[in-house]
Formats: sequence, structure tokens, C-alpha cells
Amino acid sequence: MAAHSTHEPVGVENAAKPVTLGQIVGALMFALVAAALAKFVSAQLLPVVIAAGVAYLMPTHLAENGKVRGAFGLMAGLLTLFVVRMWPGAEAVVGEEAPVESHTLLAWLVALPVLASIAVLFMPRQSPRLIQGFTFLAMIAELALSLPLLSVNMGRAFHFNQDIPWVASLGIHWHVAVDGVSLWLVLLTTFIVPVAAYASFGSITTRVKDWCFALLLLEGAMVGTFVSLDVVLFYVFFELGLVPMYVMIGVWGGTNRIKAAIKFFLYTMFGSVLMLAAILYLGWTHAKLTGTPSFDFFDLQRVQLPTSTMQVWLWAAFSLAFFIKVPMFPVHTWLPDAHTEAPTAGSVILAAVMLKMGTYGYLRFSMGLFPESCAKYGPTLAGVAVWGILYGALCAWKQDDIKRIIAYSSVAHLGYVMLGLFAATPASMEGSVLQMVNHGISTGALFMLVGVVYDQRHTRHVDDYGGIAKKMPLYTALFVIATMSSVGLPGLNGFVGEFMIITGTFTSGDGKLGPARGLQAMFAAFGVILAALYMLTLVQKVFFGPLKNPANKKLKDINSRELLAVAPLIALMFIVGLFPRLLLDQMHDACARIEEEYAERIQANPPGKDHSYYTGPIKLLAKSPNAPAPGTAPDAKPTTAPDGDTH
Amino acid sequence: MNAFYSLFSAEEFSPLAIVLGMPLLGAFVNGVWGKRLGKEAVKTMALSAMAISFFAALFTFAALNHHVDSSAVEKVVEGHKVVEHEHVKLSWLAWEWMRASGAGGLSAIPIQAKFSVDALSGIMMLVITGIGFLIHLYASNYMETDKGYWRFFAYLNLFVFSMLILVLGDNLPLLFVGWEGVGLCSYLLIGFWYDKLPNAAAGKKAFIANRVGDFGLICAMFLIAHYCGALDWTGIEAGAKSLLSPDMVHVWPFGNAHYDGVFGFLQPKVPLMMTGATAVCACLLLGATGKSAQMPLYVWLPDAMAGPTPVSALIHAATMVTAGIYLICRLNFVFVLAPGVMAVIAGVGAFTALFAATIALVQNDLKKVLAYSTVSQLGFMFLGVGSGSFTAGFFHVLTHAFFKACLFLAAGSVIHAMHARVHDDEKSQDMRMMGGLKKYMPLTYGTFGAATLAIIGFPLTSGFFSKDEILFRSFSNSYQWVDKARAESLKMWMPPAYLGKIYYVMGVLAATLTAFYMCRAFFLTFYGDFKGWKIGKPVAAEGHDEDDHDDHGDDHHHDDLTIPGAAPHESPRPMTIPLIILAALAVFGGLLNPGLAKSLFHLESIPLEHWLEPVFATSMAKGIHEVEHNLSMELMCTAGAFSAFAIGSGLAYWTYIVNNGAPAKQWAAAAPGLHKMLMAKWMVDELYDATAISMVDGLADTFVGADKIVVDGILAQVTSFLAAAFGTAFRAVQNGMVHVYAAAMVVGVAGFSWFFAMPHAEGMIVDKGNGDFIVAAAPGFGYEYKFDDAQKFGATSEKPVHLDLPAADKSDKAKATAPVTKNVVLTVKNVFGIQDTKTFVLVRTPAKDKQMIGQN
Repeated sequence: MAAHSTHEPVGVENAAKPVTLGQIVGALMFALVAAALAKFVSAQLLPVVIAAGVAYLMPTHLAENGKVRGAFGLMAGLLTLFVVRMWPGAEAVVGEEAPVESHTLLAWLVALPVLASIAVLFMPRQSPRLIQGFTFLAMIAELALSLPLLSVNMGRAFHFNQDIPWVASLGIHWHVAVDGVSLWLVLLTTFIVPVAAYASFGSITTRVKDWCFALLLLEGAMVGTFVSLDVVLFYVFFELGLVPMYVMIGVWGGTNRIKAAIKFFLYTMFGSVLMLAAILYLGWTHAKLTGTPSFDFFDLQRVQLPTSTMQVWLWAAFSLAFFIKVPMFPVHTWLPDAHTEAPTAGSVILAAVMLKMGTYGYLRFSMGLFPESCAKYGPTLAGVAVWGILYGALCAWKQDDIKRIIAYSSVAHLGYVMLGLFAATPASMEGSVLQMVNHGISTGALFMLVGVVYDQRHTRHVDDYGGIAKKMPLYTALFVIATMSSVGLPGLNGFVGEFMIITGTFTSGDGKLGPARGLQAMFAAFGVILAALYMLTLVQKVFFGPLKNPANKKLKDINSRELLAVAPLIALMFIVGLFPRLLLDQMHDACARIEEEYAERIQANPPGKDHSYYTGPIKLLAKSPNAPAPGTAPDAKPTTAPDGDTH
Repeated sequence: MNAFYSLFSAEEFSPLAIVLGMPLLGAFVNGVWGKRLGKEAVKTMALSAMAISFFAALFTFAALNHHVDSSAVEKVVEGHKVVEHEHVKLSWLAWEWMRASGAGGLSAIPIQAKFSVDALSGIMMLVITGIGFLIHLYASNYMETDKGYWRFFAYLNLFVFSMLILVLGDNLPLLFVGWEGVGLCSYLLIGFWYDKLPNAAAGKKAFIANRVGDFGLICAMFLIAHYCGALDWTGIEAGAKSLLSPDMVHVWPFGNAHYDGVFGFLQPKVPLMMTGATAVCACLLLGATGKSAQMPLYVWLPDAMAGPTPVSALIHAATMVTAGIYLICRLNFVFVLAPGVMAVIAGVGAFTALFAATIALVQNDLKKVLAYSTVSQLGFMFLGVGSGSFTAGFFHVLTHAFFKACLFLAAGSVIHAMHARVHDDEKSQDMRMMGGLKKYMPLTYGTFGAATLAIIGFPLTSGFFSKDEILFRSFSNSYQWVDKARAESLKMWMPPAYLGKIYYVMGVLAATLTAFYMCRAFFLTFYGDFKGWKIGKPVAAEGHDEDDHDDHGDDHHHDDLTIPGAAPHESPRPMTIPLIILAALAVFGGLLNPGLAKSLFHLESIPLEHWLEPVFATSMAKGIHEVEHNLSMELMCTAGAFSAFAIGSGLAYWTYIVNNGAPAKQWAAAAPGLHKMLMAKWMVDELYDATAISMVDGLADTFVGADKIVVDGILAQVTSFLAAAFGTAFRAVQNGMVHVYAAAMVVGVAGFSWFFAMPHAEGMIVDKGNGDFIVAAAPGFGYEYKFDDAQKFGATSEKPVHLDLPAADKSDKAKATAPVTKNVVLTVKNVFGIQDTKTFVLVRTPAKDKQMIGQN
């Protein structure tokens, strides 16, 4: 430390006004008052108090001016508001007035970013600040617009349902709705995208207009994917998201960006084209059975195909598309390339949200439409998922590119998510959905943090670093927290999901995972050791040891813009880790519903001699009682009471 | 006072929040603002947090005592008055945490953030906060010149918080939070001086070795969730019976699967199985060996000495490493169900005690000696709990916390004094550089001596009583079935009784070695002549700035130790006061549980045993057979323990004081191979490197290679090659010559014509479920259809068919469930008059029919 203090202006620490004990006592009093408020007066005041407290207590070197201070305060306030509002039993405090569910909300949620992206096209290329400001504002508006989704108690039903014929002759509808599962993925999207965009504004300086256009279009497509209940609509959004990401990697990526972009595009495209064929076949079958074509999820759910032949093929076409997107072993190799070459914000969005399209798609469509096939191949695929966990972890250990390490760690993490889905117990599915959000938070934060040093040093090679903890203490602290979250340290977010998935795997009944489930659970737990191995090796090589490389001596600690971007993610790691019930309570009933529908179909068609669950002719089942009430016509009043609430 | 205690009910005992909250607050304040707070404020924050926490813990303990007393019931057993207590628990629910899948995946187990304190965790809580406070006080001076002062106290407070969660958590996942939390703090504190690579590597090694143990704990958790359907202590105890259910864990073949095929010969006729209890206990044991540094996962602890000495005292001696023993004591009712694992625990303990003691014999680094001694003493604790004497094992946790913390702090005091002149970390801890410090550091000498007496088992000191009790119990205890009928039906293995005798002998041997190496360390450090540097008047120009000793960078000048310097000095008061308190506890702490005195003087009860009785009562009564009132056997065992002390320390005295170390050199020369092995710590690290680590390493290399060549190669390279190959092939056809195109067209037109000219009888069956079927023929150009034996072809492409079930005939069940079938023949004719025929088989199954009606 002595050596380094000679390079810096003497007495940096003394120059800043030290915090006095008085201030600390003040802060403690303040915390006491806040706690008392929460306990006895009204929890509603707490966010304001916390916001003010954080804004006041923020160390000066992190928040150099009032604007940054205010932003930190605002963020703390919003997060507190989230905790207070979602706290179990908080409804009683809020009051009993039934929230009005707007049927057009989801349409706006999809339309806003898309419209904004079109608006960006008409803005002057010469004023990047204007475009960036507009983009960010649109994203914040989107985030604000998505918050009313939390005002409804999700329960088992679908909410904010809107169903309008789109291509009436083919039975294609604009059918969007959210339930407890998609709710969190929509919120994850609207939350991560502005954070990533904000972080990118410092590092993306070329073709800003195109960048903002791509970001906004991508956000619209991702939200659309998570809310679509019409399979064709889902497919459209699923594919639409591909294009901006392809451009983002191809234009703003690293040295091998073209190859990575093409690989990314071809891999995902291959799967989704098969899915399109399967979608068409399903729609055609529905028309055969009922006389009218339909691509609505709830209509297609009624089509019972024999597991011995056609269902397996359709299921495979759907699932392959999702497995490639997740990505599961062995179709994962596009991911490390894409992550490595993508710009920081691209990696963040890709890891945090786009991969979830695959896991979400499997949960919603593969398990919803073809439960028998899922049950038939679930045990085998669970083995593949566990293999992926170990494989991804060991590959991550041997990489020497920081982003590649994190990319392979994603393969391992998403192995857990898929394992939880294959286990198909209510709690393991909850764990999987939670883990989707968790992976978004932790891996998003890790990629963003890697971006901080990449912007300064323009290298991602582990060996180019070493001992930089000395130069970047705060950055190191944040990186270690994110690492621990990724490793699954209990108390942080990663553990909760992993624990629920692993217990779910072991306790999963004989009908779901086969006799090897004990082994699968054990190896999944073994992955926890390997996670520590590769992440801590990375941390040790990059941050600890002597500072050898002279180029690193000029490194500056994380600045307030970067901190502002990563702080909410770090805060969420603690919030989700300590209070996972905030999220779990909303998704609990939805997961239970999905599991019930799944188990019902399997029990109705127990496996025969050839291990096929259903060998009879194609037939039409009764409509699921959980489907939302018939959709609103385009001219229906949006003031109608919340529908579809069946419990 | 009683009214004061009853302010808080046992179910909602919120003072626990203060015990837990204060260290967290200290960690938070110091961690966030510490850098700008200044040393005084950091110290005030950390120490006051610990002090308040300690007082709150004292209050909690007093309240617990009050609740215990009020639950007391007097009974008369065999003419003696016996006071019996209930197992009292004070708990506090913070919030609902999450849920996990229960048995069969159907039930959900709620997991709460709930904390509770009972007799067992109460003592741990006092040790953690009490000794924690003393060590904080010590460290406030020891670390004074370090730049990372604030960071150090933030980590240390965080550690105390995690450790408290570990002992106070009311369920296994919450314990796991603390379990990993202390691992994290240990990682951060071992690598505290992170700019030195070995320190950072040692931290990583500790974390990963611990993670191997944590893997066991995770496995134990899902097994318990599956068998007991609960994860909190009360629930596990209630559901522990089902751990012995016939639903056993199939070790081989996995999960009772049945394999045919090539590897069928690997499948035994009778599957290899173990009970749920054995599986759970084995997993827990793996977890405990990781945290408590036992074979085979002990290797991280000696390396962990790279951290600052107060850390070694607090984390790697007094508290964290005893977590494994705490876990076994906590779940004693599970462990007694698996006597086989209990015997393994005792065996692991005895072996580790002996093994680590042999390594400690030859180490020259003072802290390394203490580290191996800690491993060895933890082995004694395992021996105790494994023999079924949970009280004895836990008592050793307590006394070990006193004397080992004292030893480490005294060693720190010595190192602090050495470090004033010797800046090399390794040299300043090397006992060959010390000697004769008795004269310069009397307080340190006295306290180190007192603690040494305790650890070598000098009669009437704390270590004497606790070690004696462990050895006696391992000799005399035997296991018995908790549920004999069931255990026999499951064909469980009962460890033979002679194992205890073997363990006893190993224990006595280890105790002898302990006495020898501790006395050796004591004599080498404090007796003889000082060998560090020449003592004399310091030369002003060469005098080293004493405040600079935090600077471990490689930039400072080489120390010339031949230049005379000031004599080593005694440490200041904040460091010696904790030493004195701990030394007093080390000497007199044995009075808490003088097992020998109980038998000698026929005492009705001794404090600790009496206090812990409700915790272990049930499992001790059912699972362990204890020898009662056998004074002669106890005296014989004590004689063994005493002679271990006498021989070991006497030999050390003869070697190092009388003969000034000469015999030690002769022995080393007499058996150079053995000496080399001992110096190299039996090459265990190298063994692990060569086996487990290189295996994982090789596997990872293979995977990386396969990822590049096989996975990516086949999926990406081969497909792209195929696409390119087809492209090349087709390009050859697209050669631009009109006559080639025309020829291709002719072939194509002919093919299509043939297809359209021939009719195709295709169709599908629609099953309405109630016996109505529709056979729908596929359409085609100018098709006419004929079904079955109809006379004419018609335009209708569908034919409805109804299949009736036979009239219900109750006498003939087979007939009632037999499927009804019917064949429908479809004939298709096209405009050219060519015909094609296909037969469809309609099947109606009565059983399925009913199901479908039920669904609709």
C-alpha cells in the first residue's frame, strides 16, 4: 500500500471529510425511527425514509453531486417500496379496493418500446445525447408501466388478458396475458434493459442511433415473448428478438464478432424453424378436430396426440428450439462465442433475459402442450441437465477469458433451471422460475462488472490482470458479492433457487424423475463445489496477489455511473436471497396450477408397455378450467372487472 | 428479576435479535463507512457491538436458565432426589424464508428465518460472543498499524454474526446460512493480506475444502426433507423414526433401477442398501469433517494460518471449527439411529487426533504447531461424540475454546514482539528464532504456560477433565439399538464393542504426543537463549520504524539481524487482559464438568452435564449404553490419561531442557525417512494433488477439448461442411445449359404426373370418446369415395360409425372390458377410374370410455 500511495495525491483519505461517530449515531437513530415507523405507524412511509437516508449517507466519493445522490436515493426508495408492497400479508395494509385490471396494459407494454424504437429512427444521428436520453426515458416509462402488474394478486389465474383476432381466417390471435410465472420474467426484462442500456451509454459511442433502435426493439420483442399466449404470436416475438441481438453482436462486438453473430443466428434459427413447423401442424390438427383453426395456447392444449408417434415429434421440435436457446448441452457452443464477442450490454441482456425465453418456453409450451412426452423423456433429460451442470462448470474452470468463464457458468446455472423443470414438483418449478430471475440478476451483474474493467483495459484475458484489488477496492467488493451470489452462498439469491431445485429433484415422485433421481440430485449438489472452484479461481487470478502488470497500475475504481447501474442488481441479490417469498408467493399458485395440469394428463394416461403414455387416436380434451374467460373484443370497455379469477 | 425475564415469552424471545443484530450492524457500519471513520471509531463500533451482543447473550442465558428452573420437576429415583428438566427452547421468528419440496414432492416444507436458543446453543452463544469480545479487544491492538483495520473488523463482526446464525438457527437450511457464512468470512480473513498470492490461495483452498463438506450437508438436507418431511429441529426429531423405514437408500445399483445388457453382470443379486439414517448421518459427517478439519478434509486448516493471528484464535480454534461437533450434538437423535456411522465418527476422530499429532511433533512454525494441535484436539472431540458421549465431546469444545484461544493469542503476542524486528512472516513465527522469551515477556509466558498445562492434561486443569472424560467414555461406552426389532429387520450393522478399546489406545497415544509437542513448543519459545537477533542498544540509523509493520509488501529492505536491537517487549494491556482471562478459564474451566470428581465423591450432578441433560437425554437413554458407577474402570482410564501427560511432558523436558534439544536431532538422524515424511506432513497435500485434483483437472481438460472438437466440431463444423458440400454438388447441376434444364424438367413433369394419376386412399380416424367415430378420407383431385361394401362411389369423404359396447354382462368380466373393434374399408377412385383401397381399424375400449366421460 505504501508504494501505491506515493503515486496518488498525498492524503486522499484526509482530504475528504471523515464520517464522525456523531453521524453514525445519527444514522442509527434514523434506522431505529425507520424500524419503528415500519412496525407501528405505516410501512408505506418506509420507502421515503430509506430513500432519504441513502441519499444522505452515500459516501461523497461515490456520489459526487446531488443528481447522483438523488438517483441512489430514488433507487433505494423504489426497492424498499417493492419489498414493502410485496411483503406477505401486506395487502391488508394497502386496503381492500380491488385493483382495476386494464386489458390494454400488456399491449402497451409491448408497443411502447417498439414505437419508441421507430421514433428513434426519425431522430438526428448527430445528437447522440438526445437519442440516448429518449431511449432511456422510454425504458424507464416501460419499467413504470410494468409496475402495475404487481398490484394484482396473481393466484392461479391469468391476468391482464387481451384476446383480439389478428389473422382471423387462420385463427391467429393477439392473445396476451400474464400469470405468476411470466410476471417475473416481464419485470426482469423491463428492469434489466434500462440498467444495461444505462451502463452501455458510456462504452458504446459509435452508431448510437442504431444501438438505441436495436435495444428498444429487443425489449419489445422480449416482453412480447413472455406475455404471448398465442403460439404464432409467441413465435413471432421469439424470432423478432433474434434480429436486434444479431445486429448488436455483429456491429458492436469484439474481434470475431461476425462469426459469433452468424453462429448465434443459425443455431437459434435452426431450432425455431422446426418449432414453426410443429406449430403449423398443431394448428392444422386443431382445425381437423374442431373445424376452426386456432393457435391459442388453451385451444392447442386440448389436442391430445398419441405419444407413440406424433406428439413426440412435435414436442421434440418445440423443445429443441428451447434447448438451443437455454442452452442445454450439447447445443450450447453458440453461447460462449456470442457472450465473448457481444458488447457488455448485449451480454447482460442475452444472459439475463434472452436465455430465459428457452426455459420459459419449455415451462409454458412444452410442458403445457405435450405433458406426456415431457414425462416420457424427463428423466433422461434431467440426466442431460445434470451433465450440463458439471460439464459447464468444468469447462468454465479451464477458460482464460473472463467472459467465457461466465458464459460457461451460465450453461451450468441453466442446467439447474432445466433440472427443476424436469423434476416437475411444485416447489422445484418455483425454484426454477426463481432461479431464472436469480441468474438474470447475478450473471447480469457479473457481465456488467466485467464491462467496467474491459472499458479501461480492452482485454478480457484473465492473465492480463492480477492484484487489481489494490487499485479497485470497491469494484472488488462488488465483484466478490456477485461471485458469491453466483456460487450460491446462502443468504444471497443463488442459494434459494438451487436449494429448492435440488430438494425438488430428490423428492420428485417416481412418475416424474426415474430411479436415478437420487444420483441426479447428488451430482447437482456436486456442481455447487465446482461453482466455487471456477469462480474463486477467477477472483483470485484477477483481483488478488501482487499487482504485476504495469498497465493495471492506471486502473481507476468503478465510477458513479457504473455503480449506479450495478447497485440495484447487488441490492436485489440480498433482497431475493433474504426474502424470496416476495417473489415466491406470487408464483406459487401459478406453478401449482401448471403442475396440476401436467400431473392430471399423465395420470389419465399411464405409460403402457412401450413406455408411451398415450397411443390412442387424436382427440379433443375438455378446455382447461384455468383458461381465462373468452377474450375481450377490440372495442370492449377496459373497465370490466378482473376476469379469469377462478379460485 | 423473574418479572424481568418473563417480559419476553419463550415463543417470541426478541432479545435474540440484539444478540444477532449487533455484530451485523458493526460489520455493516465498518464495512461501508469504515475507511473514513478512523481507527478509533472503527474500534469503538466493533467492540461495542460485541459487548452489547455479549450482554444480550448473558441476559438470554439467564432467561433461559429461569425458564429451565421453572420447568424443573423433582423425582425420586433409587432413593436419590433427581431434578429433571424439560428441553426448554426460547425462539424468535424473524420472517418466513422459503419452502422446499417435502416427501414425494407433493408437500411443501416451509422454511422460516427462525432463531432459537436451548441449553446447547446457549453455551455456544456465550462462547462466541464472550471469547469473540476478548479476541476483538486483543485484535484492536494487534492490528493497530494495519491499513485494512476497518476491513478486518468488518469481516470479524460479520464472522461473529454468521457463527451466531449457525448456532441459533432453528432449522437446517438456516444453520447452513451460518455454515457457509463462516466459510466466507474465513475465506476473506485467511486472504486478508490478499496481495500475497499464498494467502489468497490458502483462502481459496479453505473455501473449496469447506464446500466439499457443504456438499454433504446439502445432500443431508434433501434426504432429511424426503424422509422426515421437515427441516427444523423439532420436526426432524419428530420424524426421525421414518429414517429407519424400509424405504432405504439404494447405493448399488442406483435407486433400485434394474439394468439389462452388457453391464448386467455388475448388478448384484441383493442390492446394496443403507437406511435413511445411515445415509443422512454419512452426509452430515462429510459436512462436519469439512468444517471441523478432520480426515480427509483437514488440509485447509494448517494453511489457514496465513490469516492474522486473532483470526486463527477466533475462527480456526475457538468457534468455527467446532461447528461440526455442534452439528453432531444438535442432531444427536439422528446419529444414534446409525451406530455404524457413530463408530466411523469416533474412528475418524481417533485417527485424526493421532495423525495430526505426529505432524505437530516436528513443525518449527509456532502457529503450524498450534494448527495441527487444533486438528488433533478436534479429533478428540469427534472421538467423544462418536462414542456417544455428547456431553464429553461438547465439554472439550468448551475447554478447547479457552485454552486454544489463549495459546493462539499468546503466540500472537510472541509473533507481535518478534515482528518488531523480523519482518519476514515465516521467520517471525519460527520457533528456532525464539527462545528465552520468558524473561522478556512474563505475562505472555505465564498465560501460554497455563494454557499448555491445560492442553497437555495437567491434573485438575480444564483439559485434564475434558480429555479424561472422552477417553473414559470411548473405552466404556457401547451402542445399542434404538428400535431393535426394526434394526434387525433391516439387517443393520452393529459395530463391535472392542472398537472402543482400540480408539482408547489411539487416544492415549495421541495425548502422549500432544503433551510432548506442546511442551516442546513451550520450551523452544520461552526457555533457553534468545536466538532472534542480538540484543543490545539499537543503532539509530538502522532502527526500523516500528509502525511500519503492516507493510508486507516486497519493497522493504532486507533485515540485518546481526545488528543489535531492542529486546522483545511485552505486549500492551489490551492484548494481555484477554490472555489473562482466557488463561484463568483454561486452568479452572474444568470445574464446570469434573467427571472424575463425580464418581470419586459421589456427587449427584455436575454443572455442565446437568445443564445439557435435557438435550441428550432421549438419545442417550435409547441409543447408548453407558457404564454406571464403575470407579475402578474410570480410575484405570484416568491413569492412562495421566501417564500420557507424564510421559509426554517428561520426555519433552528431558529432551529440550535437560539436553537442550540434542536427542531430537539424534532421533531425526536415526530415522531420516520418517523425519522427512513428518516434515512433509505425510505428503497428504501432494497425494490429493496427484489423485483427486489432477483427476478433476484432467476431466476438465478433456471436457474443454471435447467441447471444441467433438461438440462444436460435429454440430457446427460438420453441418457447415455438409451445407457447403451440397452447395457444391448442386452448383454442378446449375450449369446454365438449357438442354440440361429441359431434361430435368421432363423428368420432373413425369414424376408429378404419375403421382397425380394414381389415387391414394389415406384418411384419419376421429374418436369422439362416446363410441362415435368418424373416418375421414383425405381429399384429392376428382376423387370419389366408397366405404365398405357400398354399391356406388359417392362424393362424401366422411363416414360416421358408432360402435356399441356389448350389453353389460356382470358374470363375464373379461367380456365387459374387452375392446370392440370394427374394420372400415375405404376405396377411392379418381377421374381416370383407377382405384385404391385401405382398411381402417376402429377400437373402442370400455375402460377408457369411462375415464373420458369422467373428464368431460
